[in-house]
Amino acid sequence: MRRIIDLLLPPLRWRVPVVIAAGVLAGLLLLIARLSNAVSYLSNDPRTCVNCHVMAPQYATWQTSSHRRTATCNDCHVPQDNVFRTYLFKASDGMRHAYVFTFRLEPQVIQIKDAGKAAVQENCIRCHTAQVGSTTIGAVTVDAARHGRGHLCWDCHRATPHGTVNSLASAPYARVPRLTPVLPDWMRMRRE
Amino acid sequence: VKTVREAVREKPWLGWVLFAGTVLIVFLAGLFGSSILERRSEQATAFQLVRPIPDWEPRNEVWGQNFPREYESYRATRDTLFASKYGGSVMRDILAEDPRTVILWAGYAFSRDYNQARGHAWAIEDVRRTLRTDVPQPATCWTCKSTDVPRMMAAMGPAEFYKATWASMGPEIVNHIGCQDCHDPKSMNLRITRPALAEAWERQGRKIEEATHQEMRSLVCAQCHVEYYFKGKEEKYLTFPWDQGFSSDAMEQYYDAAGHVDFVHALSKAPILKAQHPDYELYRTGIHAQRGVSCADCHMPYRSEGGVKFTNHWMRSPLASISTSCQVCHRESEDELRRNVEDRQDKVKELLLLAEDALVRAHLEAQYAWSKGATEQEMKEVLQFIRHAQWRWDWVAAANGVGFHSPAEALRTLGTSIQKSQEAHAELVRVLARRGILEPFALPDVSTKEKAQTYIGLDMARLHEAKGRFLQEVVPTWDAGAREREAGYAR
Repeated sequence: MRRIIDLLLPPLRWRVPVVIAAGVLAGLLLLIARLSNAVSYLSNDPRTCVNCHVMAPQYATWQTSSHRRTATCNDCHVPQDNVFRTYLFKASDGMRHAYVFTFRLEPQVIQIKDAGKAAVQENCIRCHTAQVGSTTIGAVTVDAARHGRGHLCWDCHRATPHGTVNSLASAPYARVPRLTPVLPDWMRMRRE
Repeated sequence: VKTVREAVREKPWLGWVLFAGTVLIVFLAGLFGSSILERRSEQATAFQLVRPIPDWEPRNEVWGQNFPREYESYRATRDTLFASKYGGSVMRDILAEDPRTVILWAGYAFSRDYNQARGHAWAIEDVRRTLRTDVPQPATCWTCKSTDVPRMMAAMGPAEFYKATWASMGPEIVNHIGCQDCHDPKSMNLRITRPALAEAWERQGRKIEEATHQEMRSLVCAQCHVEYYFKGKEEKYLTFPWDQGFSSDAMEQYYDAAGHVDFVHALSKAPILKAQHPDYELYRTGIHAQRGVSCADCHMPYRSEGGVKFTNHWMRSPLASISTSCQVCHRESEDELRRNVEDRQDKVKELLLLAEDALVRAHLEAQYAWSKGATEQEMKEVLQFIRHAQWRWDWVAAANGVGFHSPAEALRTLGTSIQKSQEAHAELVRVLARRGILEPFALPDVSTKEKAQTYIGLDMARLHEAKGRFLQEVVPTWDAGAREREAGYAR
């Protein structure tokens, strides 16, 4: 470790400017972390998912569904069988979402990818074991569906829980939580 | 391996490459940061009004230009065709359906005219039409009827508003219940516009601003769908009697301690409390509230229209929308669910009618006892029993939904009402026995609305005639005044 630092150390007369430049970079990264609510992504709070406004219709429909009482976004959309898989999935899914959102590649109608389908299907069964015991044997699993031998839960339960119509514009005035302001309270102008 | 120091000393241009590399990284990081900022700000602009709404804009149609779906569905509250077993949006003449109520409200304007309310869109029209507003009423009566109320309260202050007379506000209060009652015009967030609810919370040491969104989806309704009274002979200050709790018992204690009397009963002379519609309080004790279901979840379920999903603003009986209201959570068939509701309502109705029979007898027996020379001392306890019995009956009867918001609590409350009427009856039997009257009291024939109203001495023909004159002569001047005032509003 010492050696690596030593390798990177600049010439003596450069020290001060380099320390300042490194500080600027670190400060900028901290600012980005704050702007993007980076810490919230470690949580299980559905509000995190509407950090990006394109998820508002999904949030709004979940909020008015019966699933809101027991299931958060992660409970269905992220594997829950072990903690490493959970965070690996979150990280890879999150990076893809960040990339898509930053480069404005989101489609008008957001559709679930195969990895996401697998996670959701697993989670349907995880909670509804009692109801689906005989049905899973009858091939309502990801594997079965993938090999064309069966179906997924929402092939029939189409409206659960987000409804049957979905697009970026499908819930225009939905009251979803809004981002907390970047500026802390004491810095904001009071209009009074 | 060479250190950076050595590398730069040998090839000074390498230092410049490092510098340029850092510049590039900071530049890209900055770009990324501003991209996040831009996308954050899209959230704010995603919500834009076609036509900005000024503060206190009372006209629902102006709000509606921005929110056509919500507005169109809200207009549907004009529907008067849906009838469930006990309720719906049809106008029901309660006094005719159940003439006992005429006797129970003798001496109070409710005995003249009492209809089951129609939808929100009828609020102004129905309040103008009811025979109850011929009695001089305070402006407080308007509080829950109109989007003009927040406007007037902002201009006058709530205390002054309550002090004014009902009739003096006629030209000001013309837009029926609507958008501004529950929504903030800038953000469309739910907000509380009626001070009484916020004040009641404050007395309980809570701040209404701290309520969650899901709580607000019930609280905006609880601005009006609650028990309230007009505090003070002059002030008529709208107040919720919640300081000791939300149950009928707790409110009864509150009213007894405050010495509040809504009217003295014309037959029995009992100091009566008139219950308003404690829908919110009753609902709070029910299983739906305990499971976190809000008013809007059942009465304003989500619906789809074309490619858009939105909250249906046609607030009405969930029995008219079982699929979107109930079946979101319950997997039984529509018929089954309707039967489940009606079964519970049937049971509440059964006890409700028993409570009424017992109360009617108590009132008439008390009147009979007075006529036989009963003393104030003898009657004091009787009248207190009648007061409490009627309060508890009315607490359930006046609430919407025939007790379905909480069947167990409704039945408990009715049970105590019947018990108190029976206590009054037992005491009255003793009062009469002391005067040698041992025969059971024969009730007069008050089996229809007309007979009952004649029995309590109402001249209905005269009342209807006066109301007809009012509607033809006064109301048009109110509307004309309002039109002139609104013509001056920002277009």
